Amino acid sequence: MTVRPETLAPSAVGLRPVGRFGFLRTQRAASIGLILPALAYLALMTQAPFVLTLWYSFRQWVLTSPDIPHKWVGLSNYTYELTQDPIFRQAIYNTLELTAAIVGGSLLLGLAFALLLNRSFPLRGVARSLMIAPFFVMPTVNAVVQKNLFLNPIFGLLNWIMTSVGFARIDWLAVHPKLSIIEMAVWQWAPFMMLILLAGLQGIPDDVREAARIDGAGPFTEFRRITIPLLGPYFQLAVLLGMIYILQLFAEIFVATQGGPGTATTTIPYYIYQTISQANDVGSSSAQGVLAIIFSSIIAALLLRLLLRTFRSGVTA
Amino acid sequence: MSAIEVKAPRQGRAVAGRLGLNLLTYVVAFLAFFPILWTLLTAFKTEANAAAIPPVIWFHATLDQFRAVLDSNYLSYFENSAIIAGGSTLLALLLGIPAAYSLAFNPSKYTPKVLSWVLSTKMLPAVGALIPLIIIYKRVGLFDSRFGMILLYAAFNLPLVIWMMRSFFADLPHEILEAATVDGAGFFRIVTLIVIPLTAPGLAATILLSTIFSWNEFLMAVNLTSANSGTLPVFISGFMTSEGLFWAKMSAASTMAVAPVIIAGWLAQRSLVRGLTFGAVK
Repeated sequence: MTVRPETLAPSAVGLRPVGRFGFLRTQRAASIGLILPALAYLALMTQAPFVLTLWYSFRQWVLTSPDIPHKWVGLSNYTYELTQDPIFRQAIYNTLELTAAIVGGSLLLGLAFALLLNRSFPLRGVARSLMIAPFFVMPTVNAVVQKNLFLNPIFGLLNWIMTSVGFARIDWLAVHPKLSIIEMAVWQWAPFMMLILLAGLQGIPDDVREAARIDGAGPFTEFRRITIPLLGPYFQLAVLLGMIYILQLFAEIFVATQGGPGTATTTIPYYIYQTISQANDVGSSSAQGVLAIIFSSIIAALLLRLLLRTFRSGVTA
Repeated sequence: MSAIEVKAPRQGRAVAGRLGLNLLTYVVAFLAFFPILWTLLTAFKTEANAAAIPPVIWFHATLDQFRAVLDSNYLSYFENSAIIAGGSTLLALLLGIPAAYSLAFNPSKYTPKVLSWVLSTKMLPAVGALIPLIIIYKRVGLFDSRFGMILLYAAFNLPLVIWMMRSFFADLPHEILEAATVDGAGFFRIVTLIVIPLTAPGLAATILLSTIFSWNEFLMAVNLTSANSGTLPVFISGFMTSEGLFWAKMSAASTMAVAPVIIAGWLAQRSLVRGLTFGAVK
């Protein structure tokens, strides 16, 4: 078995040393043959549509008026969305506000869950399973159940508890629509954050904690000086992945508020859905889609850089 | 003597603190799970009991709601979901396992670039691809077809399969694979006889996660399906306008849609973190 030196990769982050599986190295052509179908399929199904979205975004194109030619209108869809359309600006703001609140809320709750679970106690496995379960619940089920069984102004469980202890009845989805959406999504996403942070907590070596205790650190000092700094990369990973998913939040809004009342919970994904399925406006919705892609790429790139920097410089307090 | 006297109350306090934390953990776990439990209970109530104030906790359980759900067209949605989730996972595995094999065992200088490109396809918002998909699917006859949804979800789950399986493959003890190569086994035999059996738990977790994601997906399902290939999330969203009348039925339909996924998720627990973080956390 010959190992051609030019195929030796510089060992990249997260990759095992190349030499270990050197004996398995097949012909380069065979190797490409194994990987190419997957890459071509991914490009066709996930990247080609983005290119088409970009193409459509320069056109005036309304599905309900097929006789009007799909005229090339340059950047006018973009100038309309960015300077004139008040709902799109509202949607950007709503998306940012909801994403920040949901990521922040589920991170804090997930940290609390993880700290509670990171001890040995009877029935730990059961407690962990119960805490994880919300993450698997279909988002439409989450929204439909919480909207009716829990948040309904008359028959909802939450209002029964509130009025029983003397508070006023609240129509949560009408009066606090954002808070309701945040609550639904935090319930769903806290277990996700918990899983990542729990893995981080379990990776902190016992002798580090031991050393801190010997040096006289109490539980709070230990938490602040050992646990939080050593969890740093895990926090960043949780925030990065959480943001990528939560920016796309759609089912909860579709089911629970339909973007309302008014445009109070209209986010970018929901507004794009409205523009294409209700206004049938291909040009405008495509421009919104391109802006959403740019928007997400900026956030993903910023966070990825943050992540890489942390891993490169080591963990600091 | 005095040492013991000082130590005893301290130990007592530590034990009390530990028991208190245990109790708090149980309460928190119960509260986190409560919405699911409440939905399950409501599914066995009559409609009158389901919307009763104060809430009814002790009641005669009835299977009427499950019967009512099964009598509606629920089963055809369930069938669509099962075929689409299963088919898309299978297609993602067929494309993803060879790619993962190649990336794990034949890395080149392009491997990191390929891997980060694969991951980046997961980071861009699906809604950015929605409009062309609607237009093209309608034009080529894939709109509202199970096959069209299988093709789409397979692409959505391919990055997960590639990243997870690559990370499991890279954990294999190389001596075993070396022996097989010496014996002259090729790619197909190595994969089916050695790699797959040795990574079976990881493969099972990958299958479960991919199935769960397809099962729960809503944005594409609501825009690209209709009467023929509608999936369960679409069926469930139909309850959004029901005001107080069909809560028990809604809960029964929800329970049947969610229970298989929660059980699958519990089964995949051990590899869950690895899957959710694309192998970054083991």
